[in-house]
Amino acid sequence: MNQESLTRRSMLLGSLALTSLLNRESLANDQASRVHQGLPTLPHFAPRAKRVIYLFQSGGPAQMDLFDYKPELAKRFGEEVPRSVYPDDRKTTMSSAQASFPVAPSTFKFSRRGQAGSWISNALTHTGTMADEMCIIRSMHTDAINHDPAITFQQTGSQIPGRPSIGSWIGYGLGSHNDNLPAFVAMSSRGSGKAGQPLYDRLWGSGFLPSKHQGVKFRNQGDPVLDITDPAGISRDQRRTMLDSLKKLNQLKYDRIQDPEIETRIAQYELAYRMQMSVPDLLDFSDEPKHVVDMYGQDAKTPGRYAYNCLIARRLAERGVRFIQLFHQGWDQHVNLPTQIGKQCQDTDQPTAALLRDLKQRGMLDDTLIIWGGEFGRTIYSQGKLSEKSYGRDHHPSCFTMWMAGGGIQGGVNHGSTDDYSVNVAEDGVSIHDLHATVLHLLGIDHERLIHKFQGRDFRLTDVHGTVVEPLLA
Amino acid sequence: MKRHVACLLLSFFSTTVRADAAAVDFNHDVRPILSENCFHCHGPDNATRQADLRFDVPDSAMSVIEPGNPESSELIRRILSTDPDVQMPPPESRKQLTSDQRQILKEWVRQKGSFENHWSFKPPLRRPPPELENDTWSRGVIDKFILARLRDLNLSPSPAAHRATLARRIALDLTGLPLSPDALDEFLQDDSQSSLETLIDRLMHSPRYGEHMALRWLEASRYADTDGYQNDRYRYQHVWRDWVIEAFNRNMPYDQFAIEQMAGDMLPNATLRQQIATGFGRNHRINSEDGSIPEEWRTENVVDRVDTFGTVFLGLTVGCARCHDHKYDPISQREYYQLFAYFNNVAEWGVGPNNGNSPPFIEIPKNWPDLSPGEDQLISPEPVKLRNARAEAGNGLQRPQAGSPSTLMVMHELLEPRKAYILQRGQYNMPDRTAPVTPGVPDSLAISEQSMPRDRLELAKWLFEPSHPLTARVAVNRLWQQFFATGLVETSENFGSQGSPPSHPKLLDWLALELIRNDWDIRVIQKQILMSQTYQQSSQFTENLMERDPKNQLHARGPRGRLPAFTLRDQALAVSGLLVEKIGGPSTKPYMPPKIWKSISNNTYKQDKGANLFRRSLYTYWRRTIPPPTMMNFNAAAREVCIVRTETTNTPLQALTLMNNKVFIESSRWLAQRMILQAGNAPEQAIRRGYRLTVGRLPNSEELDIMRQTYVSFLRQYRESPSEARKLLATGTTQRDQTIPPAQHAAMTMIATILLNLDETVSKE
Repeated sequence: MNQESLTRRSMLLGSLALTSLLNRESLANDQASRVHQGLPTLPHFAPRAKRVIYLFQSGGPAQMDLFDYKPELAKRFGEEVPRSVYPDDRKTTMSSAQASFPVAPSTFKFSRRGQAGSWISNALTHTGTMADEMCIIRSMHTDAINHDPAITFQQTGSQIPGRPSIGSWIGYGLGSHNDNLPAFVAMSSRGSGKAGQPLYDRLWGSGFLPSKHQGVKFRNQGDPVLDITDPAGISRDQRRTMLDSLKKLNQLKYDRIQDPEIETRIAQYELAYRMQMSVPDLLDFSDEPKHVVDMYGQDAKTPGRYAYNCLIARRLAERGVRFIQLFHQGWDQHVNLPTQIGKQCQDTDQPTAALLRDLKQRGMLDDTLIIWGGEFGRTIYSQGKLSEKSYGRDHHPSCFTMWMAGGGIQGGVNHGSTDDYSVNVAEDGVSIHDLHATVLHLLGIDHERLIHKFQGRDFRLTDVHGTVVEPLLA
Repeated sequence: MKRHVACLLLSFFSTTVRADAAAVDFNHDVRPILSENCFHCHGPDNATRQADLRFDVPDSAMSVIEPGNPESSELIRRILSTDPDVQMPPPESRKQLTSDQRQILKEWVRQKGSFENHWSFKPPLRRPPPELENDTWSRGVIDKFILARLRDLNLSPSPAAHRATLARRIALDLTGLPLSPDALDEFLQDDSQSSLETLIDRLMHSPRYGEHMALRWLEASRYADTDGYQNDRYRYQHVWRDWVIEAFNRNMPYDQFAIEQMAGDMLPNATLRQQIATGFGRNHRINSEDGSIPEEWRTENVVDRVDTFGTVFLGLTVGCARCHDHKYDPISQREYYQLFAYFNNVAEWGVGPNNGNSPPFIEIPKNWPDLSPGEDQLISPEPVKLRNARAEAGNGLQRPQAGSPSTLMVMHELLEPRKAYILQRGQYNMPDRTAPVTPGVPDSLAISEQSMPRDRLELAKWLFEPSHPLTARVAVNRLWQQFFATGLVETSENFGSQGSPPSHPKLLDWLALELIRNDWDIRVIQKQILMSQTYQQSSQFTENLMERDPKNQLHARGPRGRLPAFTLRDQALAVSGLLVEKIGGPSTKPYMPPKIWKSISNNTYKQDKGANLFRRSLYTYWRRTIPPPTMMNFNAAAREVCIVRTETTNTPLQALTLMNNKVFIESSRWLAQRMILQAGNAPEQAIRRGYRLTVGRLPNSEELDIMRQTYVSFLRQYRESPSEARKLLATGTTQRDQTIPPAQHAAMTMIATILLNLDETVSKE
């Protein structure tokens, strides 16, 4: 990345001194940078947000049941969705052979929320209380129609696995604020509805970026960080004793061999020891006032629940973690959507609103960017049987809703719109690349200039696409 | 950053070795600048070429170059200009030449601006090793090439490594396991001239050799136990994995190894073994997700085969030409789809069966690998049989039949080849039907005396034409990389224009030709490397070398670095006596964190019991979407796509694993038990034994003092709290020897865990 900072003068002029100097610096940096300080060329301009909390709703929440209000469709209950609006070749093979594609109007009531009067489903009552902080984008669209390629696209800017995830790009670019915690933390939770779509480690992976930039997954079972806990029968004091002896022995080795990796290793063991203290401290809610925990709801006390992860997210944000991503599973309602999506909302609505409110009360919402959304939307036609009370919805890439709030986002804004059927974007479409460009922009990064060379080629999160969506910005 | 520094260094060195210090070498000095800054718009890509000018072919470039006269050359005028309308590269490209780069280009034009084809597209040249005066150091040709370079730079090689250190280095490099104290003693007591050779031969004939060699090939071949997408369904390819181990253990020549894997199914009178080898071509991911469009994902299967072929055999990033002509190397988009056509005729369906092997697959005889001659014959796989994915009306997805755990996925050609087209922007649904393509290799790699390979088998054989410029170089470079951490070409996955130039081009060519001359015998090359003085040097660092060659690409010292993920676990199991040495069979499920799968997916990890918990790590079940975290933690390749080079990081999470992970604690407990039982009651003796077992040497007095004091302190603590001792000793699933007092055993376990965490133990040195 630092070609500019390296001169090639020595190639012809033979300046060994300079060459040596550069090498010494790079090694010294390696040793010192146990904590990655980010790229020296970043930020490109003053950032509006210092960190991101990305509330990923895995499975594809139905836009017309939550945000994309289509009251007129009630009159078209059971009518065929016109092929001119929804051509067959854009349907997944799960429903493409259906004999009919009947309009399934949402069974949910909507209300106007906040000063801007944003239409939000009554299933998201708590979220609605924060409407004036939110910029709702109803014109998102993606290229992929199935979970794996779509979530991979959302996370990496490419449908085919192998690219770095957005969080690892940001950690790589901006580094960490905290010596004892990673720059990128991922967490997951399951809804109380039916089992959700699986997640994959590569969703927080670093692709071809150096692996230290991969997200550290806080596990929702056992040790939150792999092997963070000393084995039974080894006390903290004993660990200290062990480490002190190990350090002495490694130091003796270093004195003989002079391999700088040994010094780095000594430092990494010390950092590991500090992490062993900072992680439990992070997860210990005993310093949280009762009213704060209550705001997130009962689930906040149960590890592995969405509410618990939201509270952890705030605590991570306070500790300087750059990119925090929650994955909540269970939004894939092919059948029995009204009941199932209701459960998802019960799990997530109150904690999501509480997180926004909590950050706002602490003065942190201004520089914390919140993103909410899934990998795609859902079909207006019913997958399977349609009744007055129930329907299913298949995957739908051509339009869906996401919202952002906080760090540099203009609150109370509704951006973009869809056609009468919530099938196609009607105006101001926002692609995944545009979303990524905008997120990077808010962090002070020009998405065209955050580049990593791999196999001889320059790569960007946004590939060769993406435009910053100016109307979302405060 | 590091890489650029290294390039800088190498450039510096290479320019100083020449008599005329200012002579510009096109491939070494100029091409990297043109490639990085100019090729994007003035290179091989037809579609984006500007002003009909290209710098990858001389005729076109000469239109802006006046040889010998920089001042009147348009190229130089442009790169020196500060006028944004004239300046090259233009400001919007975000590329910028440094003043040194401008200087090089100017100098190059002044020296008549000669062009050469990219070095790796020209066949390797046999050049005599350098004649060196007063050379008492070199043992073979490798050393002469290395020493000549060192002398040019006023550097000298390091002394030879201690014999015990060297023996451990060789054992870890060849088998992934340290020598047992007895085997080490045997070697140290052998004072014959041939002792090293005896050791190397013995290790190469150990079954552990094939297992260790297989590992890097499994990573390159993206071998895994699951399909890799969404629900990440189970597959059964371990018979192919065992074929690879056996091939290494039988020292199969590399040409046969590659041809059988590429196209064993198409060989005349193919055997079952040869057919099994073709599992290689089916190790790619397979999508089974509901709602998928089969042709979309079949296309990805073919793309993966092409890209793997390109990386592992050609060392080229051919995948860059999927959507447009390659920006840097002479591979057009049409040529990409000509390669695609070789791999496009597999009798497969684009969506998997939703658990189990995807056709084409064959039933493996029960007594594999002991096949009778009658059994060792190709089996015709049954054709794809489609059925509706689900009973629900409206579901349009069809899936093929699933292969059971006793089957193996193999390559199998359709009778009638599928038509292949250029896919516009690489999209499965945008074939350019006006332009069908037939199989063919890129013109830039056409080997003159040979006609165009017509099918996959001929393509495989084409790789081994004696004048092929890439196959042998790419192969020996990986062998070098395996022993020295960095290849002679650092970018072992990219020998193209944007790859790094070789540090020792003549040595690379010599090794490549040696491999060919020795009928592609890998062990011959490995042995030449291991027997070289270059390899056998001490890995002691010096301040001078740290400054001048931090990555040790000049080889003024021996290699030193952290062991790979698999070796770290295997070593702990081996030195503690827990390792179960059994070759092959279905993948094993050792300890994993609780609910490793269930926490984010819809499957449950069922941990094995007994011996399978302690098999070598290459047998560990590889679930692509949730790969074994302790392996990933130490930079194992993810097995998503072909990977031939991994990084080596040094992180706190690694420290946590080595200190706290169950298998390392259980190993410590076993190691402690071994130390006590083999050495008797005196703690000093046990500590000495521990050093011998782990690092193959005795502790010096300082080390012994530290360990003894630490032991005494732990012993006191565990005597005070026996319940803590019992807790520590309860780690894992194996029983301990109850005759050892718990406090003593626990304290020694802590000593053993220090031993397993020593930098020296986790490093090859």
